[in-house]
Amino acid sequence: MKITWKNLFTTSLFITVAGLSHTSLAESALNQQLTLESCHVKGIRQQVQCGTLVVPENYAEADGTKININFVVLPAIDNSKEKQPLMFLAGGPGQAAAELSGQIYTGFNEIRKTRDLLLIDQRGTGKSHPLQCEESLELDPYSSMPEDFSRTDIEQCLAQLKGDLSQYNSENAIRDFDAVRQALGHDQVHIYGGSYGTRAGLVYMRMFPASIKSVVLDSVGPIEVPIGLFGKSAEQSFVQLLNNCQNDEKCAKQYPNLANEFAEVTAKLSLAPVSVEIAHPRLGTDIEFNISKEKFISTIQMQLYSMQTRSLVPLLIHQAYLGDYKPLAGLIAQSEGGMGIYIGLHFNIVCNEDFPKITASMKAADVDNNFAKGMSLDMIGKACAVWPKYQPSADFYQTVTADIPTLIMSGALDPVTPASNGDKSDKNLPNSHHIISKNNAHIVASTTCGISIVNEFLTLQSPKDLDESCLAEIPDESFMLGLNGGAAPVVNMVTTPAKVKE
Amino acid sequence: MMQLKALMVKEFKEAFRDRRALMVAMSMALLMPVMIMVMLKVAIKEAVDNPAVYVKYTGEQHAPKLIKALQDENILSFADVPEDEERNWNERNIELTIPDTFVADMAAGKPIELILRADYNEKSLSSPIRRIKDIVREHSLTIGYKRLLVRGIDIKLLQPIKLLEQDTSLPSSNAVMISLILGVYLMMAAFMSGLPVAIDSSAGERERNVLEMLLCQPVSTLKIVLAKLSCASSIAIISIILMLVLTSVAMNFVDLTKIGATFSIDASTFAILLLLLVPICFLAASLQLLFAFQAKSFKEAQSTVTMLIMAPSFIPFALMMMDDKPAWVEWLPISGQSLLMEDVFKGLPIDWSALLFSSVATIGLTVALVLILAKRLTSEKVVMSLS
Repeated sequence: MKITWKNLFTTSLFITVAGLSHTSLAESALNQQLTLESCHVKGIRQQVQCGTLVVPENYAEADGTKININFVVLPAIDNSKEKQPLMFLAGGPGQAAAELSGQIYTGFNEIRKTRDLLLIDQRGTGKSHPLQCEESLELDPYSSMPEDFSRTDIEQCLAQLKGDLSQYNSENAIRDFDAVRQALGHDQVHIYGGSYGTRAGLVYMRMFPASIKSVVLDSVGPIEVPIGLFGKSAEQSFVQLLNNCQNDEKCAKQYPNLANEFAEVTAKLSLAPVSVEIAHPRLGTDIEFNISKEKFISTIQMQLYSMQTRSLVPLLIHQAYLGDYKPLAGLIAQSEGGMGIYIGLHFNIVCNEDFPKITASMKAADVDNNFAKGMSLDMIGKACAVWPKYQPSADFYQTVTADIPTLIMSGALDPVTPASNGDKSDKNLPNSHHIISKNNAHIVASTTCGISIVNEFLTLQSPKDLDESCLAEIPDESFMLGLNGGAAPVVNMVTTPAKVKE
Repeated sequence: MMQLKALMVKEFKEAFRDRRALMVAMSMALLMPVMIMVMLKVAIKEAVDNPAVYVKYTGEQHAPKLIKALQDENILSFADVPEDEERNWNERNIELTIPDTFVADMAAGKPIELILRADYNEKSLSSPIRRIKDIVREHSLTIGYKRLLVRGIDIKLLQPIKLLEQDTSLPSSNAVMISLILGVYLMMAAFMSGLPVAIDSSAGERERNVLEMLLCQPVSTLKIVLAKLSCASSIAIISIILMLVLTSVAMNFVDLTKIGATFSIDASTFAILLLLLVPICFLAASLQLLFAFQAKSFKEAQSTVTMLIMAPSFIPFALMMMDDKPAWVEWLPISGQSLLMEDVFKGLPIDWSALLFSSVATIGLTVALVLILAKRLTSEKVVMSLS
């Protein structure tokens, strides 16, 4: 069983759905700080290269405490080493890039044909001095409520973390990345950042512009937009889903009152949480399934990230309206086991680099929405109230204007990094181009089309001359229209679920 | 020394005089890269390309999502077939029948039976049929997973056991096919290219009565043999170099990354391959000379020596079949080089001691053969082929 609230938090995170990234192995930099050897990582049958680099925890004290930075190199199929590697910057904050190796290996296959991919665990994640809270945060996701988590939970989590938390910030992470690049003997790398990885990418562009050949920013979180303000974008993503359903003839026929049904369910849940008896999705035993408004909405919000899960949302709302919460339980089961987010690092960065930048007026504007209201912000606020503080450097909040070829991509349906974020970065960067994919949610490179555009960009290096025609071929959203799929069943939906339940 | 030089000049002049014969000797080196390239192009096309397949649908209006899934994998409706391919696909005649009850059965959760009808024995249809089956299975599974999910079941239950595979081969060793073919061809080139020269300078010279004249001169038979040997082996070495260079060039025209393979001959690989093959060239030439002198006529020499070529092509294959290779095969001539070449192509580090030993063994054998031959040439029986 896992952590309800951890999952809830992930709704407020930028999650990189696809994987990506990487570099080449260079034989040159064999200093004693670097180790590199053949290894197997989960999800990849072939051998890849695993390495660690010893870096100071605090770069101002080079002789102080050392930490190991873990990384994985997915070697190019073509071993000619002619092309510069691509470094993948993971999302979160708190995703460990090396843990995404399997996904990136297949997802970025087109790029891996000629380029090494370099995946570095950001400090505080994966095997780079992880800041993770285990047991204390694990609650049963079916019986407990996301709002149950308390100050004590956070304090217990904090007690487990080791090291000087103030050093686990974005800028030091970039110093680590650049040290790995240098240790591997690459003069320059291409970088791909997805979600929070775009923030890291922008910081990288500011701190070490000479190390970067070109940049792909996929689903942008610019420095000007603090992480946590997802109220408006989630609402917009959800409204588009409702509209797309109404524009689809079959979906409109099946669910003519979806918006009203959603309003009714949330109104009912906000009066009092509902409790139903279901078979445990995994164990099969009878359990109490408690549903609060927060749990309902946060689960829906999680589904808005990808096109596949979005297709289930109308059915989920309609069944809930009919009193059947089993689809909700089925979806919660999918995120059981966590989303691979190192929650300690997540709060450490968000609470210090972003949360203090959210002003009362920004908050008021963001909360003014008809979907999740201020849910994500409230949760982050609870944690940040007790989280130890550090002061990011003054440079950190500078607008990035590096003259590096940059491809910016956004999905029009994205619930956390709306296309308006991409526009901001596009305006500030002198050599950039912003592509908005109409039928895409979070992370454009998760589609074949997206990857082929990234690959073309890495080859051509001119963001404005890319062939974007395949984006138009991505089909409109389609939805699951009944418990058996396909079109409308004739039977009454209320009785069907009841039978299944027995 | 002067004598040896004069003899060598004579041999080389003779060998290079007949340009056309020389070209034939080199032809293998020229043809082989072309062959590899063509073969690979065909293999890659089959492995990666998803050529359009045209299927005659019945009831396609009932399952638009399935038809779309097929279309995404380039499996299209026969109604859209271009004119020039129409006859072809009409003959191949793949039919997919979707029942009228599709929609109702889907909603009711009943099993739906599609009919895929085609000539399963027709070789050109095996890949299209496999593709159609895969897509239908995947589409069906996706629906199944979703059905369970919305019933509140954790769909991870459907995968109780997951096998994580770890392949210990090196990433570059996936171009096994090319390396294998190239290895065999290099070995054969070492043996074959010097062959016409070796036969001509031995059995041929005897028939032209040049040999007698040569042996009448006050030079040692050893020098004569060495001169002939160096000429025949030089031709073989040139041929191998040509082959390696042309193969590297030809590989640039093949996009191996499409099949997840990589192949390149860099300077160090090149040098190691040459190091391995040069002793083989000497051994081959000495064997050929020995057998050609042994034969009674030019004709007999040709057929006997041709049999020799079987050895280099047979040994690598035999080694491939052997699962447990005894250690000594690594030290023997030909088999040792063959195994080492395999390692080189796999990108494994070179076992220098094995390389040294097999080279020494090969050269030792060559020296022995040369000495035997020199000894035999002092006998009139051999010279006049009276034995």
